[in-house]
Amino acid sequence: MNSAPATGIEEIPAWLPGLLQTCDSAYPTGGYAHSGGLEGLVQAGVVRDAASLGRHLQEIILPALRQVDLPLAAQAWRALARPDWERVGELCFLSSALRPARELRLAAENTGRQRVELLAHLHPDSLATAFHAEAVRGRWPGAHPIAAALEGRLWGAPEQAVLVSLGYSTLAASLAAAMKLLRIGQNAAQGLLTTALRQLPEAITTARQLRDPEMGWFNPWLEIASARHESADHRMFIS
Amino acid sequence: MAKLTGHLDFRAVPRADGQTVLKDQSFRAPFHLSKPYWDSEARILIVQVVNPTAGILAGDELDVRIEVERGAALIVTTPGASRVFTMRHGAAVARQQISVADGAWLEWIPEPLVTHRESTFRQITRLELGASAAVFYADQWMPGRLGHGEAWAWRQLELLLEVRQANRLVLCERMAASGPELRSIAALHGSGPEACFLNAVLAGPALGPTEGTWRNELERLQQPGIWIGVSSLAGQAAWTLKVVTENARRLRETVRAIRAALAPHLPYLATDLRKL
Repeated sequence: MNSAPATGIEEIPAWLPGLLQTCDSAYPTGGYAHSGGLEGLVQAGVVRDAASLGRHLQEIILPALRQVDLPLAAQAWRALARPDWERVGELCFLSSALRPARELRLAAENTGRQRVELLAHLHPDSLATAFHAEAVRGRWPGAHPIAAALEGRLWGAPEQAVLVSLGYSTLAASLAAAMKLLRIGQNAAQGLLTTALRQLPEAITTARQLRDPEMGWFNPWLEIASARHESADHRMFIS
Repeated sequence: MAKLTGHLDFRAVPRADGQTVLKDQSFRAPFHLSKPYWDSEARILIVQVVNPTAGILAGDELDVRIEVERGAALIVTTPGASRVFTMRHGAAVARQQISVADGAWLEWIPEPLVTHRESTFRQITRLELGASAAVFYADQWMPGRLGHGEAWAWRQLELLLEVRQANRLVLCERMAASGPELRSIAALHGSGPEACFLNAVLAGPALGPTEGTWRNELERLQQPGIWIGVSSLAGQAAWTLKVVTENARRLRETVRAIRAALAPHLPYLATDLRKL
């Protein structure tokens, strides 16, 4: 007879606590300092209330996730299995090239670089330290979706879980920025997040099937607002 | 109407006296090159690419390969809009491979693309720049036959633009949307039912030191009904320039104002495009 009480903890995937850590707002990636272009659109009067913020999530953030960050992370997760460093480096450069506006590109590069450095610190002598060495050697730009894939690999998380984590983090960060920029309450923000999260699985399904030439998203208004945000007189966020 | 497999190939090279001429030119319908015009004052060659057929039809495949060699200065434009006609089935595709060497200049400024109802069109452009190549590459498009009250009615429009500078990928942009999808996003941003677009890439060593000046001038063009923004790309001395206007007239006016604002820094942009 087994004397140890059953806790049920053994049924929890070993990677889950690690991914929860990377989604936490206390995880120091610098993401809290970026609005992902939202501040520029608020300044332009496009996003001004809960309704327009909801449309922004549906028509801008989710499609951009589906076409850029999620497919990049999926491809990187696969390339990191062996790992295929040439392919990983290619994806880092592609991540930057897919972001024409400087602020949005630098946000992805800087948070990506910071995440990899943190991972190399938290997981010495691991895939993270090898990644960091390859990135320095190849002068890869930082890339936050690639860093998310690396986090997943370190924790042994499956591809879909990595993409859910990345999608959730992006949507939650947008809403956290929105609550500082707009008169919108916590309950309303959580309502918008709930709606967006229901659509995330569909975006992930599409993103996992995209090939490189199918990646990319075009929104001239977001790019213009971000470009003008670079020289805005007043701003709360870096991007 | 039968589908066409057309091509347009040429190299722009400098002669010993510095005049740019076309070499190895080859074209097939729907492309036609009228006689290039050498602007002896501006010292630039102007090439008008004419489509003698009605426009782009289902099944058409168009291939463009243009090289601009060191020391050459070239403008490529069209006399009128490029129309993508209604397609019951199928799609049309255009592949454009453009390379601009170090020390060369290219202005690429065709008239706007106009996508008719139920059309499907894919344009893939690969722009390769030498480290010190100078370019003003501009795609313009309108949401339909606005004069006929037809807008945002195309089935699928995909515009892929890849830019490599000194062999590094610095821009990979993919606009892929149905008419209703882009109409909805335009409405969200308050751009109105006749919004028109310009998507441009600027590059050139002369632009770097004066960026503050010309960026301010371009950004001052923003006003109600016109969105305009400039931002530097991942490479050296290369920028993305995007414009959304409330209608076609304001797009034309804005393109003229952009060329005038940049001309002190990129003198070839002062060239008259010789259009009526």
